Amino acid sequence: MVKSTKKKVTKAQKSKQYLPPGKRKLGNVAKYTTRNKALNRLQIKLPEFRRLCILKGIHPREPKKKFEGQNKTYYHVKDINFLAHEPLLEKDRDLKAYEKKIKKAKAKKNRELAERFDRLRPTYTLDHLVKERYPSFIDALRDMDDPLTMLHLFATLPADNVQKIPVERVQTARRLSLEWQAYVTRTNSLRKIFVSVKGIYYQVDINGQKITWLTPHALSQVLPSDVDFRVMLTFVEFYETLVGFVNFKLYHSLGISYPPIIDQRLERATAGVEELMEVVNSDGTSDELEDEETLRCKTLFKDLKFFLAREVPRDSLLFTIRSFGGKVSWDGDGAPYEENDETITHQIVDRPTQGHKFLSRDYVQPQWVYDSCNARILLPAEEYVLGRVPPPHLSPFVDNEAEGYIPEYGETIKRLQAASANHVLPLPGTEEEMVDRSEEEAALRRSEAAEVAAKEQEAVAMERTYGEELAKELAGVSYSASLQDQDDKDAMEDEKQERKQQVVPPPAAEDETATLAQMMMPKKTKKLYEAMQMGIGKKKAGVELLKQRKKKVEEKKKGSSS
Amino acid sequence: MAKVTSTKRKQRNGVVATPAPRSDSEGEDVRDDLKLDEESEEESPLSSDAEEGSEDRSDVEEGSDDDNEDGDEDDISNAIRSLLRGNGAEKSDDSDADDSDYEVGSDSDGSGAELEESDDEEGGSDSEEDGAGPAEENGHAKESVEGSELDDKNVAAAPEGNENGNTKGVEESDSEDDGDLNPRNTVGDVPLEWYRDEKHIGYDRDGKKIIKKGRKDQLDAFLSRADDSKDWRKLYDEYNDEEIILTKDEVDMIRRLREGRTPHADVNPYEEYTDWFEWEDKGHPLSNAPEPKRRFIPSKWEAKKVVKLVRALRKGWISLEKPKEKPKYYMLWGDDLQTADKTANGLAYIPPPKTKLPGHDESYNPPEEYIPTQEEINSYQLMYEEDRPKFIPQKFDSLRKVPAYADFIKERFERCLDLYLCPRTRKKRINIDPESLVPKLPKPKDLQPFPTTFYLEYRGHTATVSSLSSSPSGEWLASGSYDGSVRLWEVQTGRCRKVWAMGSPVKHIAWNPNPQISILAIAVEQDVVLVNTGVGLEEEEANLVTLLSLVKKPKSDDEETPLGKWKHDEELKGLRLRHQHVVYSVAWHYKGDYFVTVAPDDILSSGLPPIALSVLVHQLSKQQSQNPFRKHHGRVVRVLFHPSRPFMFLATKIHVRVYNLAKQQLSKKLITSLHEISDMAIHPGGDNLIVGSKEAKLAWFDIDLSTKPYKTLRNHSMDIRGVAYHNTYPLFATCSDDSTAHVFHGMVYSDLLQNPLIVPVKVLRGHTKGIYSCEFHPKQPWLFTAGGDEVIRLYCN
Repeated sequence: MVKSTKKKVTKAQKSKQYLPPGKRKLGNVAKYTTRNKALNRLQIKLPEFRRLCILKGIHPREPKKKFEGQNKTYYHVKDINFLAHEPLLEKDRDLKAYEKKIKKAKAKKNRELAERFDRLRPTYTLDHLVKERYPSFIDALRDMDDPLTMLHLFATLPADNVQKIPVERVQTARRLSLEWQAYVTRTNSLRKIFVSVKGIYYQVDINGQKITWLTPHALSQVLPSDVDFRVMLTFVEFYETLVGFVNFKLYHSLGISYPPIIDQRLERATAGVEELMEVVNSDGTSDELEDEETLRCKTLFKDLKFFLAREVPRDSLLFTIRSFGGKVSWDGDGAPYEENDETITHQIVDRPTQGHKFLSRDYVQPQWVYDSCNARILLPAEEYVLGRVPPPHLSPFVDNEAEGYIPEYGETIKRLQAASANHVLPLPGTEEEMVDRSEEEAALRRSEAAEVAAKEQEAVAMERTYGEELAKELAGVSYSASLQDQDDKDAMEDEKQERKQQVVPPPAAEDETATLAQMMMPKKTKKLYEAMQMGIGKKKAGVELLKQRKKKVEEKKKGSSS
Repeated sequence: MAKVTSTKRKQRNGVVATPAPRSDSEGEDVRDDLKLDEESEEESPLSSDAEEGSEDRSDVEEGSDDDNEDGDEDDISNAIRSLLRGNGAEKSDDSDADDSDYEVGSDSDGSGAELEESDDEEGGSDSEEDGAGPAEENGHAKESVEGSELDDKNVAAAPEGNENGNTKGVEESDSEDDGDLNPRNTVGDVPLEWYRDEKHIGYDRDGKKIIKKGRKDQLDAFLSRADDSKDWRKLYDEYNDEEIILTKDEVDMIRRLREGRTPHADVNPYEEYTDWFEWEDKGHPLSNAPEPKRRFIPSKWEAKKVVKLVRALRKGWISLEKPKEKPKYYMLWGDDLQTADKTANGLAYIPPPKTKLPGHDESYNPPEEYIPTQEEINSYQLMYEEDRPKFIPQKFDSLRKVPAYADFIKERFERCLDLYLCPRTRKKRINIDPESLVPKLPKPKDLQPFPTTFYLEYRGHTATVSSLSSSPSGEWLASGSYDGSVRLWEVQTGRCRKVWAMGSPVKHIAWNPNPQISILAIAVEQDVVLVNTGVGLEEEEANLVTLLSLVKKPKSDDEETPLGKWKHDEELKGLRLRHQHVVYSVAWHYKGDYFVTVAPDDILSSGLPPIALSVLVHQLSKQQSQNPFRKHHGRVVRVLFHPSRPFMFLATKIHVRVYNLAKQQLSKKLITSLHEISDMAIHPGGDNLIVGSKEAKLAWFDIDLSTKPYKTLRNHSMDIRGVAYHNTYPLFATCSDDSTAHVFHGMVYSDLLQNPLIVPVKVLRGHTKGIYSCEFHPKQPWLFTAGGDEVIRLYCN
């Protein structure tokens, strides 16, 4: 070992060209290189470089000093060297040479050879890149947001000849995204859903990693002309490999073979979801530890049976309801149960009127499902019934406290949550007792809360008096000090001073101390402080604006109602 | 056979006078007429033109003879023949035999020739078959040579010989019966226009005229075309002046001919060839060459091909089995959940920034307060594009009304671009309470005493008060103003004790720090006036009078004029010291004997004088002036003496130079990093220095520590005009154009290792205009300030 290292060292020394100290590259110049220089070094063209960078996850970096000019892209020299040793680079060259072989064979009318070449065309894989970029599984999970969003997008795109979106890409994307959803459903790890104008956001919690992705609304996408699909396809190519391996690992953890074998017939009927669910749910062991949150998610829709009308987004609702432990059927082929099943508790509809209504079930809008999932309680269905404008759909991703503003409905949900928390998590078998007890507890808690509130009020009052005293004390001190120092002064003077002190309000004094302290801040800190203050101010202004609008809306409502 | 050829020869000889030399060979070789004919045709180009013509002619005649022999009644074939020949001569030949003669002469000559040949063959073979034929034939031939007019006879005579030979002809002869009704024209091959004007078209066999029938006019033709479905098959024979209706077979025949096929449908042109010759055991192979060697050795090329295939098989280029598919995905990661913070290339991994999670406003059904009003949306148009909100919240009544988001793909694409094109840097995001950035300072309350409150106002000046100076005892305060007066105030009461009118704006005043010498130095224009304040004790007064009386020097020459002229001022009862330039400031040495004046050279008007005269040191007791610096070091702003040691501080615009007076050399040069120094003050200890600048900065120097500022504060919002240290308390103050004065607690510890403590303690307000000067009370923690609003204010603790 020692020998080999020694050898290496000598080699490195030899290879290093001697440069006099003045000409030696140091600092930023040695560390960074511009893109064009990198292209020259790698002897490739820009599209190839772009592709390699995407696959390899190499991005430009910001040198401290942009030695070649402000408008250049700088890459780290190590990154470029890393690229230069990438096997894919050599592979690409081989592939290009191989293409030439085929072309030549075709040109020579040697059809047999051309066919053989075509058949034996070498392929490449990106496995090593996945391992390289994400040395551990957690790393991969952390970066799953973009891959999932891209795959879900491509699953809905049409295969297109003009933009050169091959059918296989679309199919693979669809399959991978469904497999991912099947895993999430199986493990009940879906946490948050948000229907936005842009699409539907889902957040899952897998191995402690929060992964959020966005799926487009299930409507046909128009392919814009100003988008370079080559770039996107390169990304998708890598993401397919990554998500495939991640899925493998996840399925492996459940003890299911991957890829799951799917019955083709059923797959066609229900666009794959149903069958995949079946396969995934039936196989494997499920004796993993479940945390509290998972348990709560699992049991949210436990005894509920849903039926989806045909106008609601089926994929999304199937995924959501199943992830939260509900049973669901739909209007169409391969449905597990029919619409006229008497045990259905909820029918999800989104139409202006419903002809025949079963009295045994609630007819609710899809938003009820999403809101209930986000709140982790079954919200009252009256608000969401057919034909009503549902209450606002709030984002579960907002931290209301940090934002400084809670919408009205948010508070309502909070109250409902608190109320249901008193009903307590029912352990199977002991539900009824718990309810009774919980009611008692609730009463107790309410009284406690009242007490706490009273105490708080007291505390506030005390604090106020203390503040006043403090201000007085402050005044008193200065008064005495002045007495000590100039006892030979007139009484008039003292009076004057006293009056002055009284005039100056205590908050102003606080302000002054603050300004004085700011005086001593170094320039950098001062700037940062100012910027922070500006941010806070902006936030405050935003909240103010919201409050103002709310006021106006309420006034309008009052005006219209009266 | 030989006979035939001989007769032919005869015939030829008869017809053509010249003997044909080739005829012998013809006669010998040719076995059948077919060959003869072919040869003769082939060879004809070789012979002379005349011969050719004659031969052709003879051939034709032969053919015609043959025809006649075949069957005169074979009218269809005749008709076609005539048709295909397309010339009048032949027509005339056959005209007697046929009533259904055709006018269709549009067939190509080539096809006609072929047909002719085949007919000839037929004829030839016929003649070959029956032996009786030749004799008659000869006879006919002779006759035919004589004239074409006799053709008819031949035709008539011929049939008997050949009747049994051709069954076809017999069959077809039925149609002749119809034709017999019409008289046949016998005019022969004459131009028909000869008969154009006649009533007849010719003569029949009996020599009677055949009268022309009336031609149909166009209307009749049209009517018949309309009525008769067979009309299209009708043809008009001009020769015989009659209409012919073609039968379906005939039409079919014409069609086939036009298509270039055989006229009869049942003729197979591609009959299988039967080789009648028995080749076996004849002992005469076609080629006698020996079998080549290559037929007995294995092929080299095949071997090469096999080698290629074998190699391809060996190397797996050709494989019949389907290639084994490896599983696409496998267990890539182990069970360890360790994460690495470095990438494979040794650089720190910078994860891509996560996209911002959506807020309430992005909901399809947001709370109403999140939806901007129409006015607000309109106001977005007035914003800069960067400031304009990217996303305007919308509200939909129900989920089914939500449309596809048009920018979805574009936004994803932009995200992709961000991922691979944006330079990534790891930025430390400070997630702290902004209040934690504010330095924790000792509370001002604990640092008392310091001036906090406004106590007294000294009114009297009518213009900006430029300078303040208090007496060493602290009882008196002198102030100089731009109204040209210097006033002496009693500090405690605010009474103005004395007023000196100087006549022009006072720039600076300085009270002598020596309590025994209560003299005031006043800088007015180019003069420094030293006046007796008259507040000293009785016994000191006399001393002052002597000090302020002009000393008669032994050498009062012109030499010293550049350094200043000492004069006695009668009016003020003091000394007047004249400088070359306007005096800006005066500073006393702590012992009170020396003072230094700053009168910067007027660089703009006169240019730099060879010797710098801006700083002059004067000695009061000897009434002498001296110029310590010969060299310019920038525009001097302020000069001060060290409070206890022989040092002098000289502030130029950007530097402070410290001179050791004992050694007479530069001891230090302080780099202030300020742009324009306005004032300077020295701590009574002498080791610390504060410098105020016109960019509102204050620099504290610890001279022993470094030549760079220990602390620089930008406390004011406008130019700092003056700075001051307190003599006894750890206080210093700055005053500025922003009409505030800041009081600081500036504690200097005797322990050299401990840095001075600087704490701002008070902002004094009250002036309505900028403060020009501030001065501490020498004993109390009070501060005098004066400025543009013409009043002097006293702040007490």
